[in-house]
Amino acid sequence: MKISLNWLSQYIDLSGLSVDEMSDMLTFAGIEVEDIRQQGVDSPLVVIAQVKAAEKHPQADRLKVCQVDAGDGGPLHQIVCGAQNYKVGDKVPCALPGAILPGNFEIKVGKLRGVESCGMLCSASELGLPDKEHGLWILPEDAKLGEPISTMVKPDTILEVEITPNRPDLLSHSGLAFELAAISERQFKPVPIEGAVLEEAGDFIRLDQTELNPYYTAVKINGVKVQDSPEWLKERLTAIGLRPINNIVDITNFVLHELGAPLHAFDAAKVKGGIVTRTAYEGEEFKALDGQTYSLNCTDLVVADQEGTPLAIAGVMGGEDSGVKEGTTDIILESAWFNPSSVRATSRRLALSSDSSYRFERGASCWNVLRASSRAVELILEIAGGTASKVLLAGAPVATVPEAAVSSDEEGIVVGIEQGKGPLKVIHPIVQAVMPWSDLDQMSGGVIPHDEAQRILSDLGIDPSDEADTWILPPWRLDLSRSCDLLEEIIRVYGLERIPSRYTGPFMPESVVDRAYNFQMGLRRQLAALGFYETQTIKLIASESMDATIAQVKDAMPLRPLMDGDLIKVALPLSEDHSVLRPSHSSGLIAAAVRNANQGASVLRFFEIGRVFRNTGGGKGKDIESDTMGILISGDMNPRSWADSKPRKASFEDMIAVLDSLAPNHKWTMTPAKARPESALGADVQLDGKPCGYFARLSLSRCRELGLKDAVYIVELDLRKMQEILTAPVKASELPQFPGSSRDAAMELPVNVANAEIVKVIDSVKEKLLVDYSCFDVFMDPTGEKMPADKKSIAYTFMYRAKDRTLTAAEVDAAHKVVLDHLVAKVKGLSYR
Amino acid sequence: MKEEILRIQEEALASIAKVDSMRAIEDVRVAILGKKGTLTMAQSGMKDVPKEDKPAVGQMLNDVRRAISTALDEKLDQLQVEADRQSVAGIDLTLPGRSVAVGGIHPISIIRDEAIRVLRRMGFVLADGPDIEDEFHCFDALNTPTDHPARNEKDSFYFDSGKLLRTHTSSVQIRTMEKQNPPVRIIAPGSAYRRDEIDATHLSVFNQLEGLYVDKDVTIGDLKGTLEYFLQALFGQETEVRFRPHFFPFTEPSFEIDVKLKVAGCEPKWVEIAGCGMVDPAVFEAVDSSRGNKEYEGMTGFAFGIGLDRLAMIRWGIRDIRALIENDVRFLSQLQ
Repeated sequence: MKISLNWLSQYIDLSGLSVDEMSDMLTFAGIEVEDIRQQGVDSPLVVIAQVKAAEKHPQADRLKVCQVDAGDGGPLHQIVCGAQNYKVGDKVPCALPGAILPGNFEIKVGKLRGVESCGMLCSASELGLPDKEHGLWILPEDAKLGEPISTMVKPDTILEVEITPNRPDLLSHSGLAFELAAISERQFKPVPIEGAVLEEAGDFIRLDQTELNPYYTAVKINGVKVQDSPEWLKERLTAIGLRPINNIVDITNFVLHELGAPLHAFDAAKVKGGIVTRTAYEGEEFKALDGQTYSLNCTDLVVADQEGTPLAIAGVMGGEDSGVKEGTTDIILESAWFNPSSVRATSRRLALSSDSSYRFERGASCWNVLRASSRAVELILEIAGGTASKVLLAGAPVATVPEAAVSSDEEGIVVGIEQGKGPLKVIHPIVQAVMPWSDLDQMSGGVIPHDEAQRILSDLGIDPSDEADTWILPPWRLDLSRSCDLLEEIIRVYGLERIPSRYTGPFMPESVVDRAYNFQMGLRRQLAALGFYETQTIKLIASESMDATIAQVKDAMPLRPLMDGDLIKVALPLSEDHSVLRPSHSSGLIAAAVRNANQGASVLRFFEIGRVFRNTGGGKGKDIESDTMGILISGDMNPRSWADSKPRKASFEDMIAVLDSLAPNHKWTMTPAKARPESALGADVQLDGKPCGYFARLSLSRCRELGLKDAVYIVELDLRKMQEILTAPVKASELPQFPGSSRDAAMELPVNVANAEIVKVIDSVKEKLLVDYSCFDVFMDPTGEKMPADKKSIAYTFMYRAKDRTLTAAEVDAAHKVVLDHLVAKVKGLSYR
Repeated sequence: MKEEILRIQEEALASIAKVDSMRAIEDVRVAILGKKGTLTMAQSGMKDVPKEDKPAVGQMLNDVRRAISTALDEKLDQLQVEADRQSVAGIDLTLPGRSVAVGGIHPISIIRDEAIRVLRRMGFVLADGPDIEDEFHCFDALNTPTDHPARNEKDSFYFDSGKLLRTHTSSVQIRTMEKQNPPVRIIAPGSAYRRDEIDATHLSVFNQLEGLYVDKDVTIGDLKGTLEYFLQALFGQETEVRFRPHFFPFTEPSFEIDVKLKVAGCEPKWVEIAGCGMVDPAVFEAVDSSRGNKEYEGMTGFAFGIGLDRLAMIRWGIRDIRALIENDVRFLSQLQ
């Protein structure tokens, strides 16, 4: 919100308070000052001048050398100027040497492309004013030569402040002045407002939707003269970036920004019969002031006349047709209270917001309805003339705070603040809050003196009631009702910097999440040391995309296959590229690999740890989130170097080696499984025999589509399962006291028999002396020269050892024979070479 | 005898001088000092030496043996030095090393871990909650009105089921208090989602770290002390920290926190870094009503939230937030 300091100082004496001090005060009371802008220039050296001659610059096509009369009676000033929008004879602002323009920009005599320039002809924006046109600010012909430009536009400072949503009372100059007075301990100068004389509106105003619009007032003013506003009024509005329209409209805008209460003026000639506030008909068309036609629905509140013509979208915007224009003589001035939720919903749905809707949706105070009306009527009569009716009253204000805070006396009659002169009155219930001092002592640690706290509250308009610990709340503060609301007021004004810090806290037991975090952080460090980069990809991926660098569903390789309905899709994605929650890390890892390969990376090794999302059973099990880790390996094993100009390519054995190094003393098993879409090879991964992941090699055709040259291996691992197994307690076993003996065996077997078969059989041998075994050679010859093409040779070494003695050769041979015989018996087609 | 010994010495020293390999020096040693070496053989002639000459000849034999041994050792040293010289000749130490694939941890993980380490030091423990949340945990229990702007499918990601992707990690406050009796002293790092177009300063999925401390008699001094200590640990002991009153539905009073950062060559600047406040009693009421008891009645506490992406951007001077999700190795490798 824009605040003009010239305007603000109408309600508070700002003398002796620098803009920076004020800005700090506001900011540390919770009203952030986002920008401070100097508007206009208060300098005798920036004057109204006239261009007497303009010659082309000898060295530059786009510059002109002007001779300028600055009204100082002396010789003409030579000024080089680059603007194009003026002609000789125009009056323009001229900054003479020594002048300081906004942005601390000092004007000096200088040479521009070799020609001396003694000043600067100015555009509006160079003087800190809204740019009226591109180029120099062309002043009216009757502007007085030589006069400072500050006689045309009064210099001002504009603050851009951020008002938090809980403080609608600050959305006006008077509201902000009140607050500033409280926090700076200065005098607030309230807007003088005449009490309104009220009259029942009777049939003239009908409220059909009292939930949405419980309280409505109108004043008929006849015989007004619609014309341009006086200069002071235009100046107020232009200072905060509003465009003056005509005196009536400008007054309603002025009062809105003065008191924070939105008003609307209708051309009475367009209002047939009287006013009705009702919901719109489904599809009712409405042409608003902005020239756009809006299609309304039955939740939108409209202000209409009694013949059915809509006059305004209530609280949001008036109609083009019913607005006050030149030629309007009679007007109806609306001041009302509309339900914030209703205004917000309509404003959002129509994507139409206005200064009015902004205030109504945050909650305008009912207390302001009559005040704003009176203020506007007074100004209209003064500026536009005419005669005003009494204030026609329909409905009554509602309490906008919880019932509990509303006070009543013993008989149950609500005690309230009265508004209105004469027999008819509007009653605003008095609202109270209970705040015992002990609450303040607790929260502040007892450092805020009660008398200072009380002063702060009373400066904010919050006074103690007769009852103990009970406070009467001002009618414009809709955000207050509880003890903590008052504590907030005291603390923000008292200042957090005056409350001492405390450094204590309880000891807490480690949580399950702590242990998972530690485990995962360990994996991160290990994988980084193994040459993998951790990625962090967007958890929302594309259902499908042509862009290979965007993670997409088809590359997902989750722990278990997906069924239709297992993907979780957001209802209204920003774009199809980010529409599905990732069911696995592979999609993001592949996208990262593609991006890096496109940038010339030859080593592609990535991992990601985090949450994945899916339903199960085709959507029967909903919204299942789990933490998994994805690892991708592809491309060269090492970056190329002088010592290794052709590094070998990563293969799936490298992936297994990585897994092994993450789980020393544990065993990974790959059980071939049906390949998933987009993969050429798939395996279920077990850790110590327990299902723990899924492994895949991306299909060559998908790699080609993605532009990846080398085989891509991916594994997705269940972190919970891994943690369970890898963090199980371990005991050290004693080192063997006696040497062991090894025996080798070279086995030949059909090419399609997996190594896992051999391992399974060895593990099932009941031979106590066998303590270890490992595969040390695998040989195949697809040409059939050295070995039949349908066979392969696998060589193992077996270690035999006894705990209590050194084995004899005969004992070792006997044990070895048991193993070999068992293998031949159990593995189909196995023979020894 | 003496002449014989002197001759052996002369010959031995001459042959040692000619030796040019480590292997040959061993051969020479055996040929002279070995069991059947010339000097050893000569020594056996001692028995024929007249008794009165024995001490002198014996002395002489010892001297010669020592002299030859020394000559052999010196030669050996000399050859070894030479061998070393040859073995390193031609090594160009200025050549680059062989390459090894290097990896690294993502900057968000690095900064998250730093924050967690500091907060754990202060007795906070980790907590988490689901990314797919219901409106109760994301909004209602956090005192957020039904028509709050975030509760809208244009600003947040909703599902047809009515659930949504949490708009902040503050939902974990409720999840934890539902499960656990006070005192609660937790931090919860996690993703949050907002329906913002991705650009240089916005991500639709971003990383937050939530903190909550609830106990009897938690004061605003606790809030201040905790966050000052935390931010000074992250940004340096001398860092100035200030609290600006602000508004959040679930804390009252609420503050935004700025830290004053010095960037080389620039004036120190206040940068907004986190939000915090004293837990609003309405939050405790919602928790108690969800639990069906009064464990949280009369409790006090504070909560805070900090954006990890922003923290990373400040730490490393990252201009475009998208760098944090592009996973370009050329970027990641700089921050290890």
